[in-house]
Amino acid sequence: MKKTSPGFGLGLRSDHYADFLASPQPVDWLELISENYMVPGGKPLAMLDAIRADYPVALHGVSLSIGSTDPLDREYLARLKQLARRVEPLWVSDHLCWTGVAGRNSHDLLPLPYSEEALRLVVAHVRQVQDLLGERILLENVSSYLEFTDSVMPEWTFLRAVAEEADCLLLLDVNNVYVSSVNHGFDPRDYLRHLPAERIQQIHLAGHSDHGDYIVDTHDHPVCDAVWALYREACIRFGEVAAMIERDDHIPPLADLIAELDLARGIACEAARSERAVA
Amino acid sequence: MSTRDVMALAGTQHGFQRYLFDSASPIALQVRPGGRIPVEKRLGIYHNAYRVRLVDTLRDTYEKTWIYLGDTLFDQCALAYVETHPPAHRSLRDYGAALPDWLAAQFPDDPDIAELARMDALLRQAFDGADAETVSLKALAGLTADDWETLGFDFVPTLALSPLQFNTPAIWSALDQGEPPPTALRLPASAGLCVWRRGWQPHFRTLDETEFTALSRLCEGARFAEVCQTLNETRTDASTLIAHYLRSWLTDGLVAGLTGVSGGGV
Repeated sequence: MKKTSPGFGLGLRSDHYADFLASPQPVDWLELISENYMVPGGKPLAMLDAIRADYPVALHGVSLSIGSTDPLDREYLARLKQLARRVEPLWVSDHLCWTGVAGRNSHDLLPLPYSEEALRLVVAHVRQVQDLLGERILLENVSSYLEFTDSVMPEWTFLRAVAEEADCLLLLDVNNVYVSSVNHGFDPRDYLRHLPAERIQQIHLAGHSDHGDYIVDTHDHPVCDAVWALYREACIRFGEVAAMIERDDHIPPLADLIAELDLARGIACEAARSERAVA
Repeated sequence: MSTRDVMALAGTQHGFQRYLFDSASPIALQVRPGGRIPVEKRLGIYHNAYRVRLVDTLRDTYEKTWIYLGDTLFDQCALAYVETHPPAHRSLRDYGAALPDWLAAQFPDDPDIAELARMDALLRQAFDGADAETVSLKALAGLTADDWETLGFDFVPTLALSPLQFNTPAIWSALDQGEPPPTALRLPASAGLCVWRRGWQPHFRTLDETEFTALSRLCEGARFAEVCQTLNETRTDASTLIAHYLRSWLTDGLVAGLTGVSGGGV
């Protein structure tokens, strides 16, 4: 059902264009923020074409707004499809959230109430998007800071139901699971336990900002120990899954991110060995 | 899905968005209480994140204006702008397009601020504007006398012209070099700013009034011969001047094609 893992990747950021063009980097694949390349022309698209020639890429969007009660934005989808034709991505992903309503866009990943009606809406929207793109998409769990009184099921049940009913794949953000577990007080291992392993196509790893009584998903720090521990758990539970590090702010030299990616490789490798030992 | 169901979810989303935009919404009643932080703080994280992201976007697009005004004043302006300009597009590329006009209204005694913002915006638009091949001086070599009568130009899609009242390019360049900007001075004669992209790099040049008018007319579709005729009526050095302009437009990469010439242009 899901594709074979391409290995270990990084989110492509403009700070690192020159590194990727100068010499081959020990990175198996790259993830692009789709909206950054939905532009008429210039350097972003030229860099994209040059780097795409050497690396497989996945497209990761932030504006699909799959859970909005507004109709899907046909113009946005057409541009996404056009970009997908250009780069022939490994896959296309976005978030299980909504970003705006009534024709507005907050540019934030806003939480949904995990209700039956939200489930039906998201499933219908995912099907429409997949019909239009002609392939399964991946939906990512977001970090959240509040829960709605309308929710009748935990997020992991909702996510699983969307994936199974809409027949889509999942992008498991391990950091987001951890952030939400602290903010809402659940056991992050419970979250992983309830996900369908066969639908997890990709894993995100990232850092966050700890404010003491809550955590904000800022992607501006290295991955923390608790998230690495949860990643190890995910590796044991889900096997070989394409994993990558997302850094959006305070972007360090590429070598630092590659070193961090090596930690992920090490954990995945060690988890696979311990799994075989148990088996 | 029943209408009532959609209404319930839509009501939550409209209420949440109203809270994000102006705080006045009963959405707190729909947020589950309890846990480590109170409901207001939970909502506040989203309220803050929405503003921070848009202010960061404006800082990025209007970088020199941000430095010119300083963090405090720029952020005050950006926040006030955000309050009345909720984004309507899926991309942040065009967010803040109305900021130069907004600054002009906010600072009627300091129009240099809006002019600098307009320059920031034009350069940003040029950065990832549409690509185009350009034609060189050689393209003119084979033109016949008849061709020169009907000649017009297609300019590169990133070319943008804007009137200049101040020494804004000098202010922008100083800020770009990390140097203190010169005092804003009103130009002795009206002039224009020309922005375009060569390769991957946005460029700009100040045009005097004569060149600004000539180039503006050509951009609007005037024939080259018409522009030359107007210039002949007002300048004794018209032919030298227009030859100089034409050479620089072609060598600077402003021209994407010739129109109105035999063979359908380049």
